[in-house]
This record gives sequence, C-alpha cells and structure tokens, in this order.
Amino acid sequence: MAVSEQTIPKQAAQPSRWRQLWEGLSIVFESKIAVAGLVIILFWIFVAIFAPLLTPYTPTEQDYTAQNQGPSAKHPLGTDSLGRDIWARLIYGARVVLIMLPVTETFWLPLGTAIWGVLLGLLVGSTLGLMGGYLGGWVDEVVMRLLDAMMAFPVVLLYMIIIAAVGASATNVVLAIAIVGTPGIARLVRSLTLDIRTRDYVRAAEIRGESPWYIMFVEILPNARGPIIVDAMLRVGYAIFAMGTLGFLGLGLPPPSPDWGSMVAKGRQYILSGSPWAALWPSVAIGSLVVGLNLFADGLSEESTRYQ
Amino acid sequence: MAKFIVRRLSLMLLTMLLVSIAVFLITEAAPGNVARNVLGIHITPEQEASFLNQQGLDEPFYVRYLNWLIGTDWRAERYVGMPIKQITTEDGFREWWAVEQDGSLIRWEMQGEDLIANQRQADGTVEETLDNEQWEVKDPAIEMERLQDYRDQVASNQRIDDEDRQAVLEKLDEILAVLSKEDQSQDQLIAALSEPESALEAMVDQEALQRKTAFREMADDMVRQNRLMHVLAAYDQLSGPQAGDLGESDLQSLARQLRKAAETVEGTNPSLAGRLEQAATSLDEGDTTAARETLAQASETLDQLMGSLGTFVQALQTEDYDTAVGVLRSLSDPAETPLDASRLVILPDVLEAIQEGLEDDAPALSGSLGQAVEALRAGNTGNARQSLGEAADQLDQTASAIVRSEAAQGARVARTFWGVDTENHAVQWEKGTGKVVWQLVPGSGWLAASGGPVEYVPLQKGLVRGDPGLSLRTGRPVADLLFTRLRNSLVLAGIAFVIVMPVALVLGLIAGLNQGKTLDRVLSIGGMMFSVTPQFVTGIFLILIFAFWLGWVPGATVFGEKAPWQRPKMLILPVATLTLIELGYVLRITRASMAEVMREPYIRTAFLKGLPRWRVVSKHAVRNALMAPITVIMLHVNWLLGGIVVVEVIFGYPGLGSYILDSALFKDFNAIEGGAMILVAVAVTTQLLADILYTFLNPRIRFA
Repeated sequence: MAVSEQTIPKQAAQPSRWRQLWEGLSIVFESKIAVAGLVIILFWIFVAIFAPLLTPYTPTEQDYTAQNQGPSAKHPLGTDSLGRDIWARLIYGARVVLIMLPVTETFWLPLGTAIWGVLLGLLVGSTLGLMGGYLGGWVDEVVMRLLDAMMAFPVVLLYMIIIAAVGASATNVVLAIAIVGTPGIARLVRSLTLDIRTRDYVRAAEIRGESPWYIMFVEILPNARGPIIVDAMLRVGYAIFAMGTLGFLGLGLPPPSPDWGSMVAKGRQYILSGSPWAALWPSVAIGSLVVGLNLFADGLSEESTRYQ
Repeated sequence: MAKFIVRRLSLMLLTMLLVSIAVFLITEAAPGNVARNVLGIHITPEQEASFLNQQGLDEPFYVRYLNWLIGTDWRAERYVGMPIKQITTEDGFREWWAVEQDGSLIRWEMQGEDLIANQRQADGTVEETLDNEQWEVKDPAIEMERLQDYRDQVASNQRIDDEDRQAVLEKLDEILAVLSKEDQSQDQLIAALSEPESALEAMVDQEALQRKTAFREMADDMVRQNRLMHVLAAYDQLSGPQAGDLGESDLQSLARQLRKAAETVEGTNPSLAGRLEQAATSLDEGDTTAARETLAQASETLDQLMGSLGTFVQALQTEDYDTAVGVLRSLSDPAETPLDASRLVILPDVLEAIQEGLEDDAPALSGSLGQAVEALRAGNTGNARQSLGEAADQLDQTASAIVRSEAAQGARVARTFWGVDTENHAVQWEKGTGKVVWQLVPGSGWLAASGGPVEYVPLQKGLVRGDPGLSLRTGRPVADLLFTRLRNSLVLAGIAFVIVMPVALVLGLIAGLNQGKTLDRVLSIGGMMFSVTPQFVTGIFLILIFAFWLGWVPGATVFGEKAPWQRPKMLILPVATLTLIELGYVLRITRASMAEVMREPYIRTAFLKGLPRWRVVSKHAVRNALMAPITVIMLHVNWLLGGIVVVEVIFGYPGLGSYILDSALFKDFNAIEGGAMILVAVAVTTQLLADILYTFLNPRIRFA
C-alpha cells in the first residue's frame, strides 16, 4: 500500500470532506479482490480512451488476404472472418460499452451505452418507486402490479421482445436496459421510501406545506442515495452482461459496429472449422470486464461491512 | 392457506393478461410486417393486402387481440348461419367444418365461378358436389347503385357496337327493374333475375375473351423480347412520369438495349443506328434529356420503318383495339403507307414475330398475317396488302366480340355466400363484381380470380379455450411445436437442476463453514466468476476446450426427429454451461446463509453446551441455512429461463427459448404470445411454489 501512504499527507491539508472521500476510497486498496477488479476496469477504460493510439487499424478495415488468422506480429490477437483486426475491434468495442453512446452516425454522447441504460432506468425506476412508496393507495397498487407483471417475465426474453420490436441500435439497447432495470430499481426505492417517509424531517416538510413532488425528490430521494448507488454499480455489470447477450443473439448494435457480443456470435461459426480466435478474444473481454466489476463491488462491500 | 393460493392464482392470471397485452402492443408498435417475412420482399401491395386479409391481420388491434384471446368461431357462426366445429383428422391435422342440421360436416371451395361443396363422409373421405344454389343475391340496394354507374359507363362506351350496346342496356334495365322492387325473398329475386342474366350470358363469347388474353400476352412478349420494341419502350420510359426515378443501373441497361437495337438496324439504316448509338452514349453519361430528344426522332423513324407495328403492339397491350385495327388498315392501303425498300427490310420480321405469337390462340388472324409476310418477302405487295386487309377485318370482328363480352359480363348482379373454406377460414365469397382477387393458395402459389373471397375470418378457438392459434412462420398450430420445445427445455433445465442443487448446496455449506479461509476464498470467487460471466461466454469456452481442442463431445446439438435424451452425448455441453452458471449463484447464496447462521447465538449456545462440531452443523445449522437458498433459487427461475435461451442459441438446441427468439425476429406474434404465456406461467407458478415451500420450512410463518 505504498501509494496510499505517500498521498495521505498531501490530502490532509484538504477540507475534511475530501479526506473522508479519500478514506472511503482507501478501503478499496485494503481488499486485494477490489484492487484486482479495479485494475481490470481501469485497463478497459484506458484502452477505450486511447484506442486510436493503440492500434494502426480501424475496427472496420478489412484485409481479404488475412482471414481467420491466429495471433501474429501484424495482428496481435489475429483476424476475424473478414480479415479485420480483432484487437482493434475489441478496443473500439470497449468504447461503446464504457465511454461513448453513438446516437447517430456522427453524434455521440459521453459515458457508455451500459451506463446510460442504468441512468435512464434509475430515473424512471426511482420516480415510480417514490410515487408508489410515498403516495401509496391506488397509485401504489397499480405501480406494483405493473412491476410484478414485468418481473414475472424472463429477463432475456423481455430484452429480446423489446429489441425485436424497436430494432437494433445503441439507443434502443439503452432503452431495453432501462426498461428491464426499472422494476428492480423501483422496488428498492419504494422499500426505502416506505422507511424514510416516517422520519421527522419528512413530517416537518409536510407540515410546512411542501408539495408531494418536492418531498419525494428533495427530502426522500437524497436520503435514500446510499443503497441506490451501490445497487446501480452492480447494475452496470448486469447491463454489460445484457449488452453482450443481446449482441450474441443478434439484437445488439448493427454491423459493422465492433460489438463484443456480435463478434462472438460471428466468430462462433468458425470455431469448429479450426479458427477459434474470433470467438475467443471477445469472450475473454466480456468475461474479464464483468468479473472485474463484480470483484470490485464484492471487495468494496466486504471491506465496508468489516468497517461498520 | 387456500385463500392465499387462490389470491396468488388470480394475481397470476392478472399478470398473464397484462403481459399478453404488453407483448401484443410491443409487437404492434414494431416496424416492418410479417407479410414480408412470410412471402419475401418482392410481393406486390395487392398480394400483401390479400395475405393480411386472409390471416385477419388487417383488423384493428383490439379485434385481433380479442380473436387471439377468445377465438373467432362464435363470431363466424353468426355470419355462416351454421354451427362450426373443429375436428382432428386421422393424420393429426386440425380442420374446421360447418355442421349441417343432420350433423354431417361440410365446407366449400371455389373452382372458377362454381361453388363446390365438400361433404365429409363418415369414413373421412370427402365427396365433392356442385353447390351453386347457395349463392345469394348481394344487397339489392348496393347492387342497384353499382349497376346504375355501370349502365352509364356502357352507355357512353363508344367502343361497343351500337347494336350490342342496345342489347346489353336493355337487359341491364330489366335487371335494374327487378332489383328496384322491394321486399322480395332471395328465391323470388333469383327467379326474376335468371331470364335477363342468361340472355347476357349468351352474349359472352368465351373464345373472344381467350383471344384477348392471347393478344395481351403476345404484346407483352414482343415488348420484352423484340430489340426494336425495346427502343420504343425505352423512349416511353424516359418520357414517362417516372423518368426521374431511374437509377444509374436502369440507365445503363437501357443503353445496352439501345446498342443492341442499333446493331440490328446497322446494315440497313446506318443513320438510325448512329442516332441510337448517340442516345445510348447520352444515357451512359446520365444525360436523360439529351437521350430523350435523340430518341424522340429515332423512335418515330423506327416506328415508321416498322409500318407502325410498334404502335400496333402497344395498342394491343393497352386493349386499344381501334388503334390496332387502324394500323393494319393503313398498312393495307397503298395511299397511306407506301411499302418502300427500307420498310421491306424490317417490316416482315416484325410482322412474323407477331404472327408467331398469335399462332395458337388466334389461328385465322395469324394465318392472314403469315400470308402477308410471305407475300412481302416475295416482293408481292399487292397480295400482302390484301392479306393485311383481311387481318384487319378479322381483328375488328374479334375486338367487337371482346368488347361485347366484357360489357355483358359486367352487367351481372353480384352473388355472395358465407361459408367455411378448406383453409380454415370463414369466408365471404363474391362473384360477378368483376373485381380481381389475389389469392395465396398453399401449394399452388398466387392465383388471380375474378370471383373470390372478399372477407376472411380465420377460425380459431382462442387462448382461453386452449388454442394459441397458428404460427405464421410455419403455418402449423403453435401448440404442436410449443409443447415439444417446452419439453426439450424442461429436459435441459431439469438435468441441470438435478446436478446443480446437491453440488452447489454442499459446496456452499463447506464454504460457509470455512468462512475467510483459503478454501472459502477459492470457492466463492470461483463461484462468483461463473455466475456473473454471460452464458454465451461460458458456452464458448466449453466448446473451445471440450469440443475443439480435446474433441471429447460434440459442440452443437442436432436432434432431428429424436428426443434429446436419445442422444445424451449432445446434452453434455449445454447442461454443463447451464450448470456452471447456476452453480456459482446457488453456492454464493448458500455460503452467505450458512455464514450468517453460524454467527447466530443459538449456534454459540450449542457449542457452549459442548456438542461436537458435526452435530452442531448437521442438527442446528444446516436446516436453517438451507431455508434462504431454496426459496431464492425458486425465485431465480426467471433468470434460469433467460439463461436457457442463450444456451439454446449457442448449441442450436431446439428449445422454447430459441423458438421464441426466432418468432420474435419474424414477428410471428401467435408464437411469441404462446411462448410468453407458457414462460410466465412457469415463472409465476414456481414463485407460488417457493412461497408455499417457504411457509412449510419456516415454522415462524406456519404458526403465525
């Protein structure tokens, strides 16, 4: 833990708020599991950001003289069935997952597809959960029945039907992730709301005559943020999982986008004819990123419970 | 307890209802349409409409939802006026039949304009009888209106000979008079209509109608195949309203046609060939205006050289017989068309092509034209003109017969009949309106018929009576395939479950007992890795290792007609994939539960009492530690079902998940709905079982 020892004294001069944050972060370095996870995550974020500097190829460049090749000096991870460099496709694919959301061909938003999906789900889910939990009565009954119906539906099938209906594109994947995530988030927020609404400060706000929406979003939501944030971190992992699965089922980003799941699906056809590379590497990529996120979250929660 | 189960069951039904509406709405909002998926992208709008109509897909959303939910047969019975029932034949096909008063089964089909009744005999054979008595006169008020319009059309149609027109109008007036009387029974109407209608029928010359088709086919062939006709067609295309839509490849193919035509006339008329060449070059450059101007002159010259036979062919294509006869007449008249040397080079060839095209269906006309060709080739223009004159007279006669027949044919009162057809629809047939109906007949493709079905009600019992409808993708009942697929999926999930449960619970208990030690670390991190890795990643790794590198087991599943358990080797990898993922999940939950139980005060008490460790664990801890995992696992069934979809896709396993995926991609909504309902039922039922099980395991709830 050489890093933390060096930096803590510098931080000491900062306001105590920063110090608190740092101490929170230093929990991460207490857990080997969390560090391992963090390293994997940072690796993928790094290659995603610097993708153009890390490969001479573009993800769609085809070389018909080098199809389905194994790793070589020219192509570090080999090539796929169209002679595209797998390393280039992997790192550009990481961009779509982690740092950018392509809305149209020329316009894109920062933050990855998976993260936007979770954010949108948070927005809708918290609103529904707050309404159900705080307003109660028939609103609660209707919201809960709707969410039950959604939760009764197998997750992957829900994804499939949504994407098959609205068509495959990055924004629709965001939409599908949000829709599927909404019921879980709403249930969590509702149960937190049911607890918080009995607190004195909520009473006080009611007596002041604040509107229900003010109470829900200004009084209750900020006080429920802890568990919501932890939950959201796990959901990013699920979202990446879901993106990969959708791509694999042919419902992800349309070709020729470097989508990890569809790379596996395409490469799968060539495994038994002797070219496993195009399926192997994107599988490793998805597996490592999801495992990394979970290791990180696991280590973090384990350490934080120990400190409590 | 009973009250609790009833409440849960009714909630389950409510959930299924909500899900079915949601799936219906989503499929409804989806772009694209299933007709294109079934019939291919090259269908015409009429064919698409006919298909949608036959499947009942052109109805509003709520009607289709209700049809799917509660069926259509009860509605169809009102239209047909007979009870309708579904039977299962000996070959296992489900067929719908109408039931007659004596209990025998009957349904109908149209052959030409005749209604044929198929009566099912006791031994399952079908007896066909002509059943034209069933036709009823369509609503007289509507028919009056239509025939009034038609009368005006005939009266103002100058192409009909006066005599024929008078005859048709006279009979038409008689029909209108019959229709205008009120309060007539069907029998009275039909009896009163029979006289004028049979008189009109007698005016129809079937041979002439056949010739009309022959003329048209000949003209179409000429336009398609004759190089000189291509030039005229190209000019029409360039000067027509769609000229702006022509793409680069269209222009190139037009240019190619012009070059070929130029080759044909090069020897006899170099200046024309030059102009065609010039037009082709303009087209290559994309300059359609220049090409059109050059072609305007060229095509005029060319048609003159062909003795206006180009105009003749185009006139036959558009059924403009007057112009066609005019062309032949002017050819026979030396004053109008001098047959000079340049014409004599091209004219006979074109004429011969026309003559050959008509040889089978219009022998007399073709004969005259043949004589003209021979005479022209021999240089005997006098004889040629005489033969052409004869041909003009023959065409004129045929043309007036055609126009008269068509006029008489249109002057009928439409007949209509509601019955059950041989493709499991309740159908309203209609004939006599002259409307052409495109019909997709399974096995024989598209047929255009002038009499045909105008309205379809596809017959189905509806989901609430156990019939999820027909799959649009396969044309077979959804239920047939659905249960095979469900069985396959259950086999897969069942085997995986049986393997996972004991292994995962035991490993989880071991990890929980050794909390914090290396064994626990290895087990729980390993379990986490397997449970969070997407199924397809695990599947790919297993295929790579065991099918590709080691070659121990097959990497895909092919069952054909066999059941999965008849080829156990192929089940190994799918089961292994599913097992690994569930293993990690169950292991982690069991571990957490065990670790928690071991911290409880009563465990400490048991230890303090001096009980041996194995006794504390087996008697006190395990039972309590298993409560959480068992219920959580039941709730996890949804996740498992989703995992099965992916595993099925990886290994090409014919299960329910891949069935729903294929149906969703195809927009085959009966199949999607059927599959979704089964999955929801499975998921909700397991949740109910989990609740009940939990109640029995946990005395605090049982005795509360």
